[in-house]
Amino acid sequence: MSSSGNDPRQPSTAKPYKPQPVHPDNLPIDYSGFIAIIFGVAGVMFRYKLGSWLALIFCAQSLANMKNIETDLKQISTAFMFAVMGMVTNYLSPARGVKT
Amino acid sequence: MANLRSSFLSCFLIPRGDTLLQLILLLSLLLHHLSASSDDSHFEGFDEIDDEPILFQSPLSDLPLRSPPPPTTLSTSSDQPPSVSDLPPKPSAKTSSFDYWDEDEFEGFPTEITPPEVTKQSEQTTTPPESASTEPDETSKVSEPTSLTKRIRSYTVEIACVSFLIMFAINYFTGKKENETLALAWAATFATKDTIFDKNFSLLGVVEGDNSPLLLKEGQNVFKFYASGRRFCQELLATMELKSRQDLIAKLYNMIVPCKDEITFEVPMNEDAMDHVVFALAKKKAAKAMHKEVRDLQRFANLMTSGPNGRKWVADELTVITESKEVAGDLINETVLDQVFGEKAFGNFGKWFISMHFSDQHQGTHKKMLVFKFALPDVNHMADMTRLVALVPYYIDLIGRYKLSSQARSKTEAARSKVAQEVYKELQNERQEALQRKKAERRKMMEEAQSKLNAEALRKKEAKERARQLKKAMPKIKMSRGA
Repeated sequence: MSSSGNDPRQPSTAKPYKPQPVHPDNLPIDYSGFIAIIFGVAGVMFRYKLGSWLALIFCAQSLANMKNIETDLKQISTAFMFAVMGMVTNYLSPARGVKT
Repeated sequence: MANLRSSFLSCFLIPRGDTLLQLILLLSLLLHHLSASSDDSHFEGFDEIDDEPILFQSPLSDLPLRSPPPPTTLSTSSDQPPSVSDLPPKPSAKTSSFDYWDEDEFEGFPTEITPPEVTKQSEQTTTPPESASTEPDETSKVSEPTSLTKRIRSYTVEIACVSFLIMFAINYFTGKKENETLALAWAATFATKDTIFDKNFSLLGVVEGDNSPLLLKEGQNVFKFYASGRRFCQELLATMELKSRQDLIAKLYNMIVPCKDEITFEVPMNEDAMDHVVFALAKKKAAKAMHKEVRDLQRFANLMTSGPNGRKWVADELTVITESKEVAGDLINETVLDQVFGEKAFGNFGKWFISMHFSDQHQGTHKKMLVFKFALPDVNHMADMTRLVALVPYYIDLIGRYKLSSQARSKTEAARSKVAQEVYKELQNERQEALQRKKAERRKMMEEAQSKLNAEALRKKEAKERARQLKKAMPKIKMSRGA
């Protein structure tokens, strides 16, 4: 590759990094968090054990893919609450036995 | 019941001499009363049958078929608590009260019935531990040796999910480490001291300082590299989007649908450094998609089917999208063809190339932008993409110095002025609409104000009118002049 003899660098024009602010509406959709909420609600409402467990798994996936701590944590915590509620309803409720 | 009363009264009316007879009658009445109360709910249609309650046979054999769960579930609450307490005496209590039907007829029945009874009773009275302890008792009565496997089977969901979560957690940490080593390997090859970016840019890295970290970690699989301080361009932002190795589900998905580690270079050019260039180069399918989706390519550029005559051109797998063929010919020059895009070279380095897009009408904050997209090789072969990375500063210089010929420029000017006019018209339309909306709002406000004023004036008028009418209604005192 041919390159010019002089140094291409120009320290005078150097700018510090400015992170581009992303509008919260333009954020990519967190599908796994969405699915986690759906399964969590299903697990709580229909008393479906597998639903609560799947909600927990998808919650974990959403956590693993989390990019921005402040914005993503709300949805993940909602999904996590539903999953935990489902667990409590399915396992610790006194009215029913454990057997599916 | 009428019979009861009459017989009861009659026993009082009978003279005392027949006390034995009276006692017998009383006893029979009592027995009848008891049997009536206990059998009432079971045999609602059978009130007329009275004298021998215990020895019924044929009519009752139909009953259990009509209402299969044995009478303990149908019976009143008074009956149930005594029979709930212990299970072993329960069947015997049942048999004692239901001798009159043939148990052989219902051989399979009791075992099916007892578990739901047990659970229903536990719902009403006992706590779960009791039901759990009674359940295994029942199941152990049925089949002892498989209780352990049954218990394990009953927990399959939990076991499977917990093991998946454990694997997920392990994979998260290993995947995270893998991604980090890959990103660091790239940085070590191209961004540390005496490497290509160090020689081209004065400011490297995101944070000021000598020993500042070069890479910015945005997510477990997204890393950014920033460089600034070079002629012709404002900055360089390299975004590495690696496979989601930290996410087990995505990893499994990527085994089915293949995915690549990608790096995207975005170089906004200085205002005076770029002439009218709209150009893109990609593999065939990707090029078609780009032409459809990317706005400036759609508006200004066309797919170039064949290279200029009498010259070697890019490899067959690649397609050029350009506004002007002349510009394309100038940008894809001999050096580049020999090094990267020609037939021979592309065979070696082509697998790491994804696309290249230069535009001075780019959508977004910066209008003049160069975008390069490459695939990343694995950790040990990072140096394979050196030639591709070297394209970046080469093209910055090339485009920085490039000037269009007068012909090409006239064409491009015409196209751009058209688009600029359209954009201007759209803006004007929007402004007009906004003005009209404002006018309409103002009119509404005025009308409301006027109607309010009108309302007030109306009220005043009405008040005045009422006052006048009152005055009129008052009797007129006629005054006559004195003579």
